[in-house]
Amino acid sequence: MNAAKPMSAANPMSEQQAYEPKIVAFLCKWCSSAGSDLAGVSRIQYPANATPITVPCSGSMSPMYILSAFNKGADGVLVSGCHIGDCHYMEGNFLARRKIHLVKELLQFIGVEENRFRMSWVSAAEGAKYAQVVKDFVEDLRPLGPQEKLKAQRT
Amino acid sequence: MINIQDIRDTARDLLAKGEVRAVIGWRAGSRGMAVEPVVITAPEQADELVWDPTCYHNLALHLVEDRKFLAHARKTAGAPIGIIAKGCDARAIVVLMQENYFKREDVYIIGVSCEGSGVIAEWKVARQLDGAVPTAAAFAGDEFAFATAAGEKRLPAREVMADRCLECRNPFPKEHNVALGEDKTGRALDAPFAALARFETRSEGERWEFWQRQFERCIRCFACRSVCPMCYCEECVVDSINIAVAPETTAEEKANRIRWIERSAVKSENITYHMTRAIHLAGRCVDCGECERVCPVNIPLRLLNNKMEREARERFGYEPGASIGGPSLVASFRDDDPGAFIR
Repeated sequence: MNAAKPMSAANPMSEQQAYEPKIVAFLCKWCSSAGSDLAGVSRIQYPANATPITVPCSGSMSPMYILSAFNKGADGVLVSGCHIGDCHYMEGNFLARRKIHLVKELLQFIGVEENRFRMSWVSAAEGAKYAQVVKDFVEDLRPLGPQEKLKAQRT
Repeated sequence: MINIQDIRDTARDLLAKGEVRAVIGWRAGSRGMAVEPVVITAPEQADELVWDPTCYHNLALHLVEDRKFLAHARKTAGAPIGIIAKGCDARAIVVLMQENYFKREDVYIIGVSCEGSGVIAEWKVARQLDGAVPTAAAFAGDEFAFATAAGEKRLPAREVMADRCLECRNPFPKEHNVALGEDKTGRALDAPFAALARFETRSEGERWEFWQRQFERCIRCFACRSVCPMCYCEECVVDSINIAVAPETTAEEKANRIRWIERSAVKSENITYHMTRAIHLAGRCVDCGECERVCPVNIPLRLLNNKMEREARERFGYEPGASIGGPSLVASFRDDDPGAFIR
């Protein structure tokens, strides 16, 4: 009977069921942000776990943004910018590629799960790709559970 | 072997001719065998200078302090400032010049080669000497000679050298006005990044276990930041305490100023601090190992910086402190930078 009504008040959701990964998505103003818009206006169904934050360019990403997002409780962080060669500022995404690579390596080095942090290239025309990136990310994050390693322990 | 008299003569000459306004070097300290950094301004002070295995301080730090002092006093430098620099110090100076912190002509580099050895790690000496307190240390070929109450003790250099010196590839200061000692570039007694490679054999879970224990201990004394010549920012991002407070600034505005990281010594904040520092030092850290040496709770900070250094070297072909005119690591790119991790 319990199995039939897993969400009844008598049988509260287990922690695993209740867990929805929170993703902070830093999206380039010129492409990925428009890409996420396109996903929206195209009525593409994708998980609502990602909180988008528009940045002027993926090259403007400070590693502090990423660390701070984790510190404030993000379960996963996504950085998305324009495809190589498409940068509005000519070379911003080249710089981002280097910088983000270092951040990614450092996070893995101290033992943060590889799947917590992700980067993608999504152009303004790739609404479907953005939806897929978020969908994949959520699926990869779910088995990891809540991110406690870098989360602030404030009392 | 460098004759200390050569260093003194060079410094005396430069000061006497007025070619430099001061020379930064080392003199005998008041704490056992350890020397201390000194700034001499008169030719007759040149005899104070020493060069021994305890010259582990990165003197480039004092160039930064000099630069800051001049800026605050609104003075111009005039004659250049002289500095005695080991291989790592010289690399640090190159990075500072690459970042336009000062110009090449503002510094007169008296390079000293570490030759076949390097500087000591005090903890290793203490372990080897079994409680005896050395009062002086000297280079002696492949050995270090320590003066103790029980007479002179000689230890093989390899046994008591700092880890970073064992892994050092460039014990010779490439950038110099005058260089003393033999060029032994390429010498590495231990494989470069050996400690890092050993550490990286651990699994993700073990790495996290290790680092959380390390970061938990951090007391946020900021010794690592104070001793680092690359940490020259007037206001560090981790302590935004200098907000402009005007009479009309409300308590709320003061309370809500941007704080990326709390200053409290809590594990999560400590991690963010050390990660931020590692990222800020990527492509700039010259592996002088001072942060690790001064850490009162012995956090292996070199591992973090080494990790970034090796990434820069292997993935981007970047060597910190190699050229003054070259671009910096994160302000440059190559078309074939690794990008397979991006979806």
